[in-house]
Amino acid sequence: MAPPEPAPSPEPAAPPPDSTRTGPGRLLIAVYALFALSASARAGVQIATNFGHAPVAYSLSAFAAVVYLLATVTLTAGSPTARRIAVLSCSVELAGVLAVGTWSLADPATFPDATVWSGYGSGYGFVPLVLPIFGLLWLRRWSRRARARQT
Amino acid sequence: MNGAVPTAIIVVGLALAGYALLMTALNRRTGLGLLAVLGVLEILLLVLVGIIVARLVGGGRPAGLATLIGYLIAMPFVPLAAGLWGAMERSRWGPAVIAVAGLAAAVLMVRLHEIWPVIRV
Repeated sequence: MAPPEPAPSPEPAAPPPDSTRTGPGRLLIAVYALFALSASARAGVQIATNFGHAPVAYSLSAFAAVVYLLATVTLTAGSPTARRIAVLSCSVELAGVLAVGTWSLADPATFPDATVWSGYGSGYGFVPLVLPIFGLLWLRRWSRRARARQT
Repeated sequence: MNGAVPTAIIVVGLALAGYALLMTALNRRTGLGLLAVLGVLEILLLVLVGIIVARLVGGGRPAGLATLIGYLIAMPFVPLAAGLWGAMERSRWGPAVIAVAGLAAAVLMVRLHEIWPVIRV
């Protein structure tokens, strides 16, 4: 059971969205889907054609692609279990972009070719850095709402 | 290759993104105007796919052929998917989805030029 907490602040006048895939979630999922598509296509081509050139970078690209796919699917599903997996994948994504971003700057030799997360996602307009933060904020709103409904 | 079509896609894509984000800011739903511009973008992308396929048939080969073919397949689905996904949303966030498609189309043109420099912008 959730611990007792003060009454939730009143919702804004607009009717609240009824799922993680509606309202702002619609935009979030669109961007996630775009990244899932481009990251998996890019990783697939890199690994199939020239894996030996940059094995670390290409493996990380593939890992990023899986994380984006998982986030897209779980945010769209929106059930409590799916939301938990979505929190996990957004967290892994945030940790990944910070770790790989730092690693790619500290040790450029390991990254002869870029990944989605190189330079904190600078090749993609830093969207990879911002996206998991918005994802986690959006999911936090949902876990709060679920907790408020329980008490 | 004449760069008119990619350039038109960038202009229409960015204009669509601006128009859509304005609708989001004004708290409007997806309207016919937005869908019409999205349709124009779709037609332009299909024309570009035709131009590039003709060039490939004519014997041109970029270094990253696999990537280019991936782009050719994925490109026409961007406005289509955004239109469906955005039209399902009866709030200001529908236009926001369409804005993503406009920006993505513009970015795609820059990437296409990197993959195959004969595709000029």
